[in-house]
Amino acid sequence: MDFLLLLIATGLVSGAAYGLIAMGFALIYKSTGVVNFAQGELVMLTAYIAFSLSNTLHLSFLPLVLVTVPISMAVGLVLERVFIRPMLGEPIFAIVMATVGLAVILRGFIIIVWGSQPFNFDAGISSTVVMIGTIPFYPAQLYLIAALALVVLAMWLFLRFSRYGIAMRAVAANETAAMLVGVSVSRIHALAWMLSAGIAAIAGLLFAANFKLAPDIWFQGLRSFPAVILGGMDSVVGAAAGGLIIGVIENLSQGYVGEGMREIAGFIVIILVLMVRPFGLYGSRDIERV
Amino acid sequence: MKKTTLTCAALLLSATAYAADPGVSDTEIKIGDVNIMTGPAAFVGKGFSIGTKIAAGEINAAGGINGRKIVVITEDDGYVPARSFQALTKLLEVDKIFALNGTSGTANVLAMMPLITENNLPTIVTQAPAALVYTPVRPSVFTFGASYEDAFYAQLKYIHDNLAAKDAVYGIIRQDDDFGKEVEAGFDRAVKEFGVTAPVRVRFKKGTNNFSAEMAQMKQAGVTVLANGGIFAGAANILSEARKLDMNIQSAGVWSEGIPASAALSAPAGYNFLVGDYVSLVGPANDKFKLLAKKYASDEEIAAISRYTYVSYIGLKTMAEAMRLCGKDLTRACTIEKLKGLKNFDTGGLSAPVSFDNPKQLSGTSVGVYQYDAKERTFKALADFKQY
Repeated sequence: MDFLLLLIATGLVSGAAYGLIAMGFALIYKSTGVVNFAQGELVMLTAYIAFSLSNTLHLSFLPLVLVTVPISMAVGLVLERVFIRPMLGEPIFAIVMATVGLAVILRGFIIIVWGSQPFNFDAGISSTVVMIGTIPFYPAQLYLIAALALVVLAMWLFLRFSRYGIAMRAVAANETAAMLVGVSVSRIHALAWMLSAGIAAIAGLLFAANFKLAPDIWFQGLRSFPAVILGGMDSVVGAAAGGLIIGVIENLSQGYVGEGMREIAGFIVIILVLMVRPFGLYGSRDIERV
Repeated sequence: MKKTTLTCAALLLSATAYAADPGVSDTEIKIGDVNIMTGPAAFVGKGFSIGTKIAAGEINAAGGINGRKIVVITEDDGYVPARSFQALTKLLEVDKIFALNGTSGTANVLAMMPLITENNLPTIVTQAPAALVYTPVRPSVFTFGASYEDAFYAQLKYIHDNLAAKDAVYGIIRQDDDFGKEVEAGFDRAVKEFGVTAPVRVRFKKGTNNFSAEMAQMKQAGVTVLANGGIFAGAANILSEARKLDMNIQSAGVWSEGIPASAALSAPAGYNFLVGDYVSLVGPANDKFKLLAKKYASDEEIAAISRYTYVSYIGLKTMAEAMRLCGKDLTRACTIEKLKGLKNFDTGGLSAPVSFDNPKQLSGTSVGVYQYDAKERTFKALADFKQY
């Protein structure tokens, strides 16, 4: 029983990381129709920014988050302005390819600036093991789960009740109609990149605090992709749920079946789910009228 | 007239002879180095290049090799085999190197092998001493280093003989690739020879960060001796999970964990893990080397000295010895001949003496065992170099 609980608990931890990264994917896709293949690199870049801020300012966790997130949002805005805005009006495929190029640039940039050596990065979080019942956790693991819950709540409130959130949904539903009623689509696109970078910062900071800071963190972007597909490409909250589901399934399959099942279990689930719901668990059914 | 013609012919023949062995002039010898200077594994290549720089500095300060200075030309391959091939092509065709010391990883040296054999290029492989490098034996390729199998067996033997309880339970976690298979071969040998219980073997894909399920399996199986086949952050994350699960383990690790920066990643977990290596990590030889390094390397480079620095230093010093034995008439054929005959070349205690006078042209297979002190963040030697 303890073994099962341990697998589920640690699966939720890795799932929370997947979920946060997946939310960043979904947010940009929902607002712009673009799959941002540089999302993993954005997570890595913001993690390194947090690392530098932590070393320079010697901040504890909460102040570090409060400083890192706005800076990361500004980075997201700059990336959107420099790499994506000039592509506005181009075919979606061309913009997606631009994000692939951006990913490669960011990977190289990070190694040039911070080097290739991995680092310990506690992000101001204690490393004393905490017991919840019989299950041990590092505090950073609990922070990761809590961060996912808070970000999901904040995004739900933002998309449902704020003016910009409603405008974002309007752009996602029908970009032309949104423009006709006076929504600045380019501003919404920029906002999506900013929010996505802000979420990436939280994900990157906590991922590095749990699993070291190294220039291969970008790979988590690809590993989180099944969560977005499962939750629904255009469902920000669904992506978070998808992350948790994938995290738990990966751990259970590794724990009980082993032999590399962790790597393929998530994809098996995706194939099964997509056979039944091609738009994901929480995605919108795409109706095309002809 | 006849005499002049003969003289011209002799000069032409002599020029042709030099042209057959590029990279050697009256004043210098060009040595190539293909290495990982960019990408996530760049610190391996950078550590290696420091050793090359120190060796070249020391040799040149002592007058070079029979009056010729060593010039090292490094090309980056980013750890990508296709780029290794391109890099060596450039070194051969543009820079006209005489011999090769840095050869990057296993797949990389294998990618370069057709060029090495085609050009009869004297090559010492010190970074990736895998069996595939010396099987089959290529006449111009000399391999320095032990196998992962021996390195893990040596550590597990030390643990079995000195540290583990009689009822110890052994477990292995290793990468799902050729490197992981070598690690498991050492584990298998140890388990079979010691007659111990080994109920759990876990494989993982390269690049895995989260080992929670894998270590839960280890905890479930009651593992007390762990063969940790993770590298860099992976190895540290494995030990971090073990600590969270309050596992009382003795851990054997990959020699890359002997790099100070890599060992520091594992330090917070608090385990005094072991490492088996074919070069010395601590001791008088290393202290002496660091004094030498001060003459030829910057403070920043000295701080980045790692086991890869020692292997490249040994590689270039060995190559230099073979070239020295050739005298003034330095050719690739002579260098290869002298390397083949090399016996008990002293590396100043940085490794067991180098001898390539064996059918595999393989040396440095003796392994020393070291233990990391997680509190002090230092290594100590547990067992001297020994053939396992």
